[in-house]
Parts: sequence; structure tokens; C-alpha cells
Amino acid sequence: MFETYEEIRQWREETMASVVDDHRQLNAFHDQLMYQTLRIAKETIESEQGPPPAPFAFFLMGSAGRSEQSVWSDQDHGIIFEGSSPCQEYFLNLGAEISHGLAIAGYEKCEGNVMASNPLWCRSIESYKKQIHDWLNEASWQSLRNFSILFDSRVLDGNDDFLLKVKRESFAVLEDHTHLYSRLVDNFEFIKKGVGVFGQLLPEQRQGMKGEIHLKETAYFPYVNALRILALKKGVSAAPTLDRFEILSYSYPFIEAYENDFRELLKFRLRYKKQAESYEKIHLLPLDQLSKQDKQQLKYLIRRGQQLFAKSKSVLKEESSL
Amino acid sequence: MDATFLMNNLWIVVCTVLVLLMQGGFILLEAGSTRMKNAGHIAGKTVFTVGIVSLVFWAVGYGLIYGEGNAFIGFSNFFYGDATTMGEGLAGSVDFMFQLAFAAIAMTIAFGGFAERAKLVAYVIFAILFSIVIYPVIAHWIWGGGWLAGHGKQDFAGSTVVHLTGAAAALAATMILKPRIGKYNKDGSSNEIAGHNQVFTALGVLILWAGWFGFNAGSTFGVADAFFGYVALNTQLAAGAGAVGAMLMVWAVTGKADVPTTLNGALAGLVAITASCAFVEPWAAVIIGLVGGAFVFFSMRFFDKKRIDDPIFALSVHGTVGIWGTLSNGLFATPELATVGRPGLFYGGGFEQLGVQILGVVSSGLYAFVVSYIILKVMDKAMGGLRVTEEEEIMGLDLSEHGGYGYPENFNSPEKNPGA
Repeated sequence: MFETYEEIRQWREETMASVVDDHRQLNAFHDQLMYQTLRIAKETIESEQGPPPAPFAFFLMGSAGRSEQSVWSDQDHGIIFEGSSPCQEYFLNLGAEISHGLAIAGYEKCEGNVMASNPLWCRSIESYKKQIHDWLNEASWQSLRNFSILFDSRVLDGNDDFLLKVKRESFAVLEDHTHLYSRLVDNFEFIKKGVGVFGQLLPEQRQGMKGEIHLKETAYFPYVNALRILALKKGVSAAPTLDRFEILSYSYPFIEAYENDFRELLKFRLRYKKQAESYEKIHLLPLDQLSKQDKQQLKYLIRRGQQLFAKSKSVLKEESSL
Repeated sequence: MDATFLMNNLWIVVCTVLVLLMQGGFILLEAGSTRMKNAGHIAGKTVFTVGIVSLVFWAVGYGLIYGEGNAFIGFSNFFYGDATTMGEGLAGSVDFMFQLAFAAIAMTIAFGGFAERAKLVAYVIFAILFSIVIYPVIAHWIWGGGWLAGHGKQDFAGSTVVHLTGAAAALAATMILKPRIGKYNKDGSSNEIAGHNQVFTALGVLILWAGWFGFNAGSTFGVADAFFGYVALNTQLAAGAGAVGAMLMVWAVTGKADVPTTLNGALAGLVAITASCAFVEPWAAVIIGLVGGAFVFFSMRFFDKKRIDDPIFALSVHGTVGIWGTLSNGLFATPELATVGRPGLFYGGGFEQLGVQILGVVSSGLYAFVVSYIILKVMDKAMGGLRVTEEEEIMGLDLSEHGGYGYPENFNSPEKNPGA
């Protein structure tokens, strides 16, 4: 059993090559790395401050929440606990320790501060429920973005029910205020262009990224965002996009045709980015490394993602206006 | 060749350059009045749309205004390319260039209503349509021998043709585009979205002020009797009075001498005197400017209260004050100077000229507003919205529409998407 975060990092480096070709295996490995980090963090805090003051769950958000991590990933996580706010201090300390440990284990800290060390992402069940109401009531771009971040979540350790209660509350609020579906679509309407009017791939122009295509923003986000808004509409609490494809295909048969495209995209990403040396570079793909055939495939996958988002948007707007 | 002929033409070419340089004033005025994240966009789109207007004006605009046609529209002289000259008046190409510069000013005013939230492609399409079906029609009515010219409408340099037309289109745009994110709260109260550089705005106003001598004094179309000097005098007095009037008004009402209001006051004085600069006495120019300056302050507050978000105050400066400037002829035009139409109310002309001015304002303003509204509504439906997405508006149009910031050093990692 590992005793330090450094040992976990070493395990990561030794094992990564053997799981990197398979999306599911890779994400199962990430879960184990994070679980082991969490275990050490819990023990550290318990030895310093005693046992947790209330039952809690540690959950993942972002690509980890959706079980869609690439080789490198940053941290997006939170803590949800039973009981009242005086417990928060203990869990914030735990969140900070987890964040520290994960950084050593190879997960860069989240620049947007979506981490359990931030009071926004470390709350009681009731406080999260109230936060959901506040976010949806405010319905600003940032509050809806925060809501979507929280919704793409799954428990790594602790009681699944805590998070489920919050998600059920979300569905109830949305059903009572159906105009919010449309606002949620608006929130993700911006899709970075990946293919130009001449059918060419459009790489980044900015310094440090020149000649590289942003795979996450041009290709991956449209699939993820489309399935998230459909999941919210149908009250599907599962976070992984592949699970959402499966569950939602009964309600929305049109999405079936896109599931394989998404799988291909995940494979494509791993094929090219498994050698990436840092999180900074994980989403950027130098175009000159791609063969002609791969460029064609990438263009196809980008276009399919955009189609899926556009169809999902029109279906949802139609349903919401009924 | 006759020296007067050459002087006339040279004078108008100089004025054309001055009017074109007013675009530089607009660039600084608009960029300074808006946020840093949109500065490059505002500067770049101004130059780009002047390019579009130039091409459209050459192809059809000039012909629709001054071509042979009827009371509603002209219809000849398309794809202008007349190199001949009559040896008197203005050479055709000189007149063409001067008129083109005016059309571009109207367009830039209209785009004030698009600021900080419209898609770049909306600018492109509307620039073409505005330059074909809106501006030339009104310019023909008043300056091209159309039905309002027949009534003796006085609009010496374009309070109605340029400023009100542009502002009416801006009003249609701002109504369809809706307020910028964060401008109004749920309870209806408004938030100030401050411009990022008052020095730019002030410099922009000063460049516009200087360019206005080309706009107004150039509208003499010649150097005969050096009358342009008199027009320039009235222009200067009204601009000064506008700045003073607006500053005193905002100071008296709010207790603070707000800088943007003062700057808008100077512009208001200029807009107000544009219609009447050749028809009124200097003391009247001062009154017209002072009232324009005061009006602009109340107009800015009015639009804000009505939840019409006008980021660069185009509606107030060019619309409200454009109307006042046009009507002021009906009050102050003197019998000696009213070479077009009749003297104003205060010079024994009765209500006749005021009536003509009102008719001109209502018909031109309504036409420009209604046609702009229809065009923009159709564009809105066809393009899936005139407005950029919320995410793009928040990140700023410099990045979303142009791929780089006007002030790159001030922004780090522009596209953060935590947790996604």
C-alpha cells in the first residue's frame, strides 16, 4: 500500500504505458490513482484533526466526473457532507490536502479553482441544494456554467446518495422552469470553429499554440455539451457521456448514430496524445503530425459533433416550447 | 483653367479627407467608450465597413441618390467612373468622393447600436443593405432632388440625412440586439458599464470636431465669398456651447461634471448645428449648441431608463440631437441666409419652415427606422441571431471575432473553461 503521494506518482509513471491505449482501462487507472491519493489525504487529516465530523462523499467533476480523462488531466473535485456548516472547516482542510496530494500525484491544480479546498465546492447537502436554486434563479452565464460543472459529477468515495439528492433537486427545479433548458443550451452555444469554409482544419493562431488544433474545444465539447443538456432534460444523473448515450438513446433515437463517432474521437485523442508530456499540451494537436487520412477523420468527427449539438438544440427547444 | 474652379475642387477634396478622418475620431470615441476586450474589434470593423460602404457607394449608392429617377429614388450613374469635367462647379469625381465620405459616416453612426455584442457577419451584411436601401433613399429625398427637397427642407450638411438616418438604424439594431450582458438587473435597474479609456474618447471627440469643418464648411461646395468661414464659425460656437451646456447640466443635476456627458455635449453641439450652420446667425448657433448639449444629457438618461442599451450614446448624440438640429432651422433660419426654404419662426417665417422640418424628420426617421428594423429582423432569423453567443460576448469580440486582443499584454489565458 502507498504511504506517500510521491509513491503514487511513481506508480502512475510505471503503469501508465500499459493502460494508455484503452479508454476504459485508462480511466479506471485514474480512479485508482485518485482513490489512493484521497486515502492518504484522509489519513493525514484524521491524524491531525481527528475523524470527520459528519458522513461525506468526495466527488469528481469535469473530465474525471465523466470518466473521460486523457493521459493528463487537471483537478476538478468537491466534497458534499451531511450536517451543518460548522463541519465545513474540517472538510475544507481535507479538500486542501487532497488537492495538494493530487498535484504531487500528477494532477495539475484547477485554474478555475473547482476544487474541494474552495468553499464553493465543499458544502453540506442542503447548502448545495440552495446553491442549485440560486444558480438557476440567477441564470447568468457564469452561474449556469457552474451548475453544469456540478452536474457532470460522480462520487469517487462515500455515499452516492448525497450527490444524487442534489441532482434530483436540479431536475425538479428545471421541470418547474422549462425556459432554463433553453438558457442552458445558450450557455454552450459557442463552439470553437475547427473546420473553415474551404474545408480546411483551423489551427490556433496564438503564440505557443500556432499550428495546433484544440481538440477539446473544437471536437470534444460539442458531443459532451449536447449529451449533458439532453441528460438534464430527461433527468439522467449519470455523468459519463458514453453512459448518457446509452441511457438517452431510448428517448432520443437520433443520438445513436453519433455514439460511435464519440468513441472514435476518444480513440483518436489517445492515439495522438498518449505521448503528451504535460497537461498544458494534452488538448493541442499539431496538424503537421497528422496523416491525410487522419485529417479527414478529424474533420468528419468535428462536423459530426457540431451536427449533434445543433440537432440536440433544436429538439430541446422544440420540446421546451411545447 | 479657371482658378475658382480649381479652388472649389481643391477645397472639397481637402474636406473629403477631413470627413474621412472623422472615422479616426469614431474609432477612438467608440473604443474609448467601450470595454478593453472589444477595442481591437471596434477599431477594425470601422475600417472594414468603410471599405464596404465605399464599394457599394461606387456600385449603386451614388446612382441611387443623384442619378436620374423620380421623387423617391434616383436610378442611373451606377458604377461611377466619370473622368470628364464641365470646367465649372465640382468635377464629378470630387463630388462623388465627398458624398461617399458622408455615406460612410452615416454607416458608422448606425453601427454604434451594434457595439459590443453583434456578430461580425452582421456588420458585413447590414453595411451592404444600409448602403443600398436606406441611406441613398433619404439622401435622394433631401439632397438628390427628391420629394423633400421640393418642399424646401433645410439640412445644410446632414443632421437628418447622415445623423438621424444613422441613429434610426442604430435604434432598430439596439432594440433587436437587446442590452449587453450585465447592463440591467432583474429589478430593472441599470449598471454602468464604463468605457475603458476616457482619454481616447476625448481625443476621438476632438478629431471629430476638427473633421466637422470638412463636414459642415465643405457643404458649401465651393470657396465663393469664403462663406465656408461663416459656416465654420457657427460650427465652432455650437460645439463649444454643446460641451458647456452638457457639462453644466450634468453638474447641476448630479453634482458631478461627468466627462463622457461633457464629451457627448460637444458632439451634440456639432450634430445640432449641422443642419443649420449656413442658415442661422452666430448667437443662434450658440443657443442651438447649448440646447443640444442639454438635450443629450436628458436623452442619455431617458434611453437608460427605458432599458435601451446604447453603449456609445449614438441614439442621443445623433438621433435626439439630430432631430433638434433639423427643427432648429424652423426657428432660427434668417431671411438673408435661407437660400433653401423659408425663414424660421423667430424671423417672421411663421410655422411653415418648422412644418417642413418636422415632416422631414418624421418621414426620414420613420423610413430609416422601419426599413432597418425589417432588414435586421430578417437577418436575425436567417442568421440564427445577430448577436454573438454569451460566451463570446463575455470573452470579448476581439478574441471571438478576430482571434486576438487589441491589448494582448493585458489578457492572460483568455479561454478558461474550468471543469468542462
